[in-house]
Amino acid sequence: MRFMFLGAVAFGALAGVVAYTQQSKPLDPFEEAMRQRQMYLETFGVLPGELFAKEGKELFFRKGPSGKTLEECDFGKGKGVLEGVYAILPKYFPDSRRVEDLETRVYTCMQTVQGFKPNEIKRDEVKAITTYIASFSSKAKIQVVPKHPAELAMYNLGRELWYTRAGARDMSCAICHDQYAGQRVRLSPVRSPKQGLGNEWPAYRFEEDKLYTMEDRINFCYESIAIPKPEFYSDVHIALTLYMLAEATKSGHSFEELPFFTR
Amino acid sequence: MRRTAVAIGGLLLLGLGLSQVGPFRARFEAALHAGGHEFAQVMLSQDKGQALCSQYRDKLPADLIPGFLAEQKALIKYPASGKLMGDWRNGEKVFTDPKRGNCYACHAGVATEVAYGTMGPSLTNYGQRGTSEAVVRYTYEKIYNAWAFVPCSLMYRGGVHGLFTPEETADLVAFLLDPSSPINRR
Repeated sequence: MRFMFLGAVAFGALAGVVAYTQQSKPLDPFEEAMRQRQMYLETFGVLPGELFAKEGKELFFRKGPSGKTLEECDFGKGKGVLEGVYAILPKYFPDSRRVEDLETRVYTCMQTVQGFKPNEIKRDEVKAITTYIASFSSKAKIQVVPKHPAELAMYNLGRELWYTRAGARDMSCAICHDQYAGQRVRLSPVRSPKQGLGNEWPAYRFEEDKLYTMEDRINFCYESIAIPKPEFYSDVHIALTLYMLAEATKSGHSFEELPFFTR
Repeated sequence: MRRTAVAIGGLLLLGLGLSQVGPFRARFEAALHAGGHEFAQVMLSQDKGQALCSQYRDKLPADLIPGFLAEQKALIKYPASGKLMGDWRNGEKVFTDPKRGNCYACHAGVATEVAYGTMGPSLTNYGQRGTSEAVVRYTYEKIYNAWAFVPCSLMYRGGVHGLFTPEETADLVAFLLDPSSPINRR
């Protein structure tokens, strides 16, 4: 499986370069992603994101040191329910007394339910499990509406982070993702939360040849504006995700096919 | 006597209140620290301009603008030689380098480069403006510190932050204005 996957990646990268050098006008990033996606399907009959979801499924049903699988975890709609949970996260969980996004929730349950120690939890495993669970919310309508006081507080933190200008490039999320939404950074399109920003992760990025979750994508953004990336499962990711998806909810957006395939 | 004591106590409490960070700010700083030491350090070491832009969501009140522009203007440094137009070949390198100018992130430049951003105006044929002293000076100062012209603009203050030196700023000016620069070739 892995070997086939790497082959596909090499082929995709090569085809991408050929396509890129043959174009004289700027590529439409969305069209190019869909073209690459089609090529994967025709050549291999499977998308890279699906391989991560499959790996996540195996890890989801793997027993932890406590003898339990992640079926015992409540991801927001009760134990064992995965259908649509990604569409209502981040939300407040009474057991951890914390607002959590899906990635943080997986990380929490691997410790509290499955008995793993934090240093035993591999980032790649959390990504795969997140991808598997998110796949049950493919095309779902986003329904992130902060109600609990902790959720409202987290929304306000996210909004403050959104507008904070810092670092050697004087950037904030807002300066690009609000004022210049609809424009491009190099070839990458920039959207605002009102335009549904955040509705495509987890996704395989053919440009980077990697699977990105929402937290990965937030870190990529911080790195590209010369701000050191925040640590995973932190309130920074949860607050920003809550803010973005709450705004996307107000505008009635739905998730893409998850895991998505994108630039 | 008693009245004085009450007044002093009141003043002390007021002072204490004013010196405390508000609860929201404290929570916000805690969240930044949760993101890790390096992340928090950068986010918390905003300069005055960044703090004002954050506070006012990039729309400064009119009465603050003259002072803001003057403070930003004062941050501009010039090459020791006084020459504001340098070597366009080196300017092209700084313009393109993602770790320095990274100008293609937002601007179109040399016509053959198709991977350009559209957030800033196109700079192709920027040299049409000529090389009068006023044009050269404006171009230099805008590149060195864009906020001296448009407070809280998207364009970052590359010179102020040391992404390029005053001499390299002059090289960037040459890349934009020199008639032999590829930016101005048809």
